[in-house]
Amino acid sequence: MHALYEWVAGPLTWVAFAVFVIGLVFRLVQVLVMVRKTEPFIFTYMSWKFSLRSIGRWLVPFATLRWRTSPVMTVATFAFHLCLLVTPVFVLSHIVLWDEAWGVQWWALPDAVADVMTVVVIAGCLFFAGRRIVRREVRFLTDASDYFLLALTAAPFVTGFLAYHQVTQGAGMTIAHMISGQVLLAAIPFTRLRHMLLGWLTRAYMGSEFGGVRRARDY
Amino acid sequence: MKIKIGILLAVLLGSVLVVLAFGQYEMQVVENYYFPNPQRPPAVFEHDRHNETAELWDCMICHHVYDEQGVQSDWESSEDQACADCHGLEDQGGMPGLRKAFHQSCKGCHLTERKGPVTCAECHVKP
Ligand code: HEC
Ligand code: HEC
Ligand code: HEC
Ligand code: HEC
Ligand code: HEM
Repeated sequence: MHALYEWVAGPLTWVAFAVFVIGLVFRLVQVLVMVRKTEPFIFTYMSWKFSLRSIGRWLVPFATLRWRTSPVMTVATFAFHLCLLVTPVFVLSHIVLWDEAWGVQWWALPDAVADVMTVVVIAGCLFFAGRRIVRREVRFLTDASDYFLLALTAAPFVTGFLAYHQVTQGAGMTIAHMISGQVLLAAIPFTRLRHMLLGWLTRAYMGSEFGGVRRARDY
Repeated sequence: MKIKIGILLAVLLGSVLVVLAFGQYEMQVVENYYFPNPQRPPAVFEHDRHNETAELWDCMICHHVYDEQGVQSDWESSEDQACADCHGLEDQGGMPGLRKAFHQSCKGCHLTERKGPVTCAECHVKP
């Protein structure tokens, strides 16, 4: 168990972060090269002003037409993504481990707050899965990979929650949590989860085209 | 009425004696009251039994003393002091902050010995 723990908490974590970062950089370069090859004229009207205007708008709940037409989905999406991104960075357990590995630390969420945010993420995954089952127009567009990605995303939160609440004895659940987190990180560049980076580019492109070319708003 | 109060007092006195006799300083956990806003249950640590099973006869493995050069004394120990008497909450040069001092000391040995708990839940056991 000790050898396994050391392995997972050490080298495997580095591999996961390396794949995550290098993979995303690779994807970014790949997209830029592709646009340059097939539609280079897009670069002529990319604009910081319209890009940031669009991104800014879409970052505010209910600021866009699309957010207003589906309020339940809007609330769910914002709560889900906020907790998804903030919790792993500011959860105390992770900070303790960064501190011990690198001597760096930053402000931590109180455990009780992180715990609630973890539940929000898990509930979000269940909600999105349920929506794919219940709503016919969404089910039509759904295949197994959608459920797989939801499970992949939920896994570190479910196992982290179970480890924190000491539902099982011993080191097993914590090790399962670490592995599920590493699998998620490493999978991001190679699945649709890469929208965490490329989504911003799509928004910037839409904003620039609508703002600069069509002289309209994309929100 | 008087009898009832008498019985009550006797029971109270009895409990106090029992607690004193049996609770007599068997350290069960590492206290966490040095931390301003503790987030976890205190770590389980039955001092004497732990050190017996782990065969740690030398107190200064944990209760160490350093000179100004940062060299550990090989004859002096500091079991008359709490770790927090020297270790502040933040790192201070070569001296790790209190939380890290505990983790490095406890978890560090468990990892090198390949024995004893290493995950949060195994030490900070919920009561
Ligand atoms: C080998 C035992 C051990 C392990 C493993 C361990 N700790 Fe601790 N930890 C301690 C001891 C001893 C203290 C000192 C105070 C106490 O007993 O809580 C402490 C203190 C703390 C404190 C400061 C006091 C508080 O409650 O706010 C935090 C936070 C903490 N640990 C979090 C963690 C986290 C998170 C993990 C897992 C990543 C972890 N610990 C793993 C033994 C351990
Ligand atoms: C594995 C590490 C370790 C070893 C070895 C060890 N201690 Fe301790 N001891 C501790 C910790 C941790 C505390 C709690 C310190 C604190 O709260 O700051 C403690 C506390 C104490 C206290 C404080 C009183 C109490 O019980 O609350 C005394 C006295 C003590 N130790 C004596 C000894 C003696 C004597 C030895 C050698 C025979 C020894 N210790 C070996 C870790 C150790
Ligand atoms: C008399 C003061 C004093 C007490 C009491 C004390 N320490 Fe330390 N400790 C130091 C100093 C000074 C250093 C830094 C040494 C250096 O500069 O490398 C240190 C370093 C450490 C380190 C890092 C180096 C190493 O030995 O691995 C750990 C871990 C540590 N202390 C844990 C503890 C624990 C746990 C306790 C309580 C059982 C404790 N200390 C009690 C003074 C103290
Ligand atoms: C120098 C080595 C060493 C240090 C320091 C040390 N431990 Fe241990 N610990 C061990 C070993 C070895 C075992 C396994 C004993 C066995 O079961 O054979 C162990 C076992 C344990 C266990 C399992 C149950 C038990 O009590 O045997 C707990 C809990 C534990 N340690 C807590 C702590 C905490 C908390 C600290 C820090 C205050 C600490 N240990 C510091 C060596 C160490
Ligand atoms: C990559 C390596 C990772 C390591 C080494 C790691 C380690 C840990 C550890 C040790 C805990 C504490 C469990 C406890 O308190 O007993 C924890 C909690 C947690 N982890 Fe991770 N983790 C990793 C990745 C991730 C990822 C990628 C996510 C999410 C995207 C994540 C989300 C969480 C959450 C939400 C908790 C707290 C659960 C709660 O308090 O209810 N972790 N992690």
